[in-house]
Amino acid sequence: MNIQELEKKAREIRATCIQMSCDGKEGHLSSSLSYVDVLVALYCGWLKIFPDDPLNPERDRFVLSKGHGCTSLYAILADRGFFPKELLTKYNREDSTLPSHPCIHTLPIMEMSSGSLGHGLGVASGMLYGLELRKSKARVVVLMGDGECNEGSVWESATFAAAHHMDRLLTIVDYNGIQAVGRSDEIMGHTSLEEKFRSFGWGARTIDGSDMKSIVETLGQFPFERNKPSAIIAKTKMGVSFMEDDVLWHYRKPSEDERQKALAELNAKPIYGQTK
Amino acid sequence: MRRAFSKALCSAAEKDPNVIFLTGDLGFQVFDEFVSCFPERYINVGIAEAQMVAMAAGLAKEGFRPIVYSIASFMTARPFEQIRICVSYPDFPVLIVGAGGGYAYSSSGVTHHAGDDLAIMSLLPGMTVIAPCDPTEIEMLFPQMLKLKGPAYMRIGKFGEPEVPAVEPPVLGKARLLKQGDKVAIVTTGDLANVALEAVNDLHKDGICPLFYHFHTVKPLDIVTLEQIVSKAHTLIVIEESSPVGGLASSIANWIAYGYYKPRLIRLGPPDKFLYSNPARETISKRYGYNKQGIIDSCKQAWQKV
Repeated sequence: MNIQELEKKAREIRATCIQMSCDGKEGHLSSSLSYVDVLVALYCGWLKIFPDDPLNPERDRFVLSKGHGCTSLYAILADRGFFPKELLTKYNREDSTLPSHPCIHTLPIMEMSSGSLGHGLGVASGMLYGLELRKSKARVVVLMGDGECNEGSVWESATFAAAHHMDRLLTIVDYNGIQAVGRSDEIMGHTSLEEKFRSFGWGARTIDGSDMKSIVETLGQFPFERNKPSAIIAKTKMGVSFMEDDVLWHYRKPSEDERQKALAELNAKPIYGQTK
Repeated sequence: MRRAFSKALCSAAEKDPNVIFLTGDLGFQVFDEFVSCFPERYINVGIAEAQMVAMAAGLAKEGFRPIVYSIASFMTARPFEQIRICVSYPDFPVLIVGAGGGYAYSSSGVTHHAGDDLAIMSLLPGMTVIAPCDPTEIEMLFPQMLKLKGPAYMRIGKFGEPEVPAVEPPVLGKARLLKQGDKVAIVTTGDLANVALEAVNDLHKDGICPLFYHFHTVKPLDIVTLEQIVSKAHTLIVIEESSPVGGLASSIANWIAYGYYKPRLIRLGPPDKFLYSNPARETISKRYGYNKQGIIDSCKQAWQKV
């Protein structure tokens, strides 16, 4: 896909997330919308994936550590053909394959169950250590939230990954600037995540995470430094103007008016048929 | 017990190329043989228990058979969240080994006490929890634990524990008969089986012959054997170096409460307290009546009520 096609796909995935939030009656919309551009760039070109054989040992592993942002992951997996798009109508229903936080028991193609923060990087480092023992060339990508970087366990894992020169490990921090009850900048004391990762022995870059060209180019330069794990601090946006920079969208679901307004602005349709 | 563990580990790694060992910067010289034989499968993660457990989950996801190791208090309570979410929830076959469980590190103070290790681990759905009594049990139970499909916790002691002679070999999940008897039953877990056996041998000289079972497996509780025990004994004396909340006695009390048999239940063990000021392990067991003399006294009293 070229940049325009990727951007179009990102709008469709955002429209799908908004529809899923309405249908599934679940919030966390901002957490899903913010990293859609990154996710599309990963799944529509960068990651080695096998939709017909999801657990192929040669696949690149994608670990969604911020499990609350799973609607966009479900949407892109359906879009790429990992499961039927109609399954998205079941998002957040009781006994659903697609719960509000990913669960490998209900959807075994997920790399891990998530929902509690600060675990993805540690689990990913174990996967990569194992892959390297097996002489595999697969890469492991972890998607974390900026708020998630508050967790101390993240930095235990960051230390380990650098000490073991894990240059096939990529961490992407979805820097949407918003946590559950405040701004991540204020909570982290206006310190730089890029500098933190660098000082932990990583190659790190801060990019405009809503600029598809910048995302694709940056991914193309992975690994950023030889023998070092790589981190991208992606400054992201929701992609819907009236939702930008508002902590409220961590919780609320769009009303019917808001749904229509958002889809009109995105100029895109959900990838699955609506339930009503 | 640690030598036995190290030996069992080497033997398992030789048989299974997926066995991989992670330590939280502990076990000085204990694993030298493993390190020299399997350097790639030995990972000193550092003093980072959360990372160690999360990483073990990732290794398990990739088909490895991780064994994580630290001092029991740092191995259970500290990374409890990672054990619960990364290992227990996905039901990964990670073997968690807590060295010096209970009060083996009594003189190191409260930070190193792990009276709660068995209770904490027993809380987790699907977790097998064992506390072997001697080096032989470690060597024989370890390969059985590696066959489990899900996670397990094993409490091990320190060095040089004596062997406990038993009627039966150890089988995971099954209580082990140490001495035949009746009327009063002694039930132990962990290395207290040693001192309890000394007590029982003395009691025999006085014509007091309690039934004696060792529960190396704390969870799942062997209720089949428990039923046999309570059909022969009117009093159960459970001896455990565990917190009274959530340990073996607590599990047995729970089982009795819902069941048909109503034996008298006596628990000998440490209290629900932090134990300050570096008491020796022997001081603790004496103070709270679960040393050899305490066991003899309790058993005699129970026997007289026949």
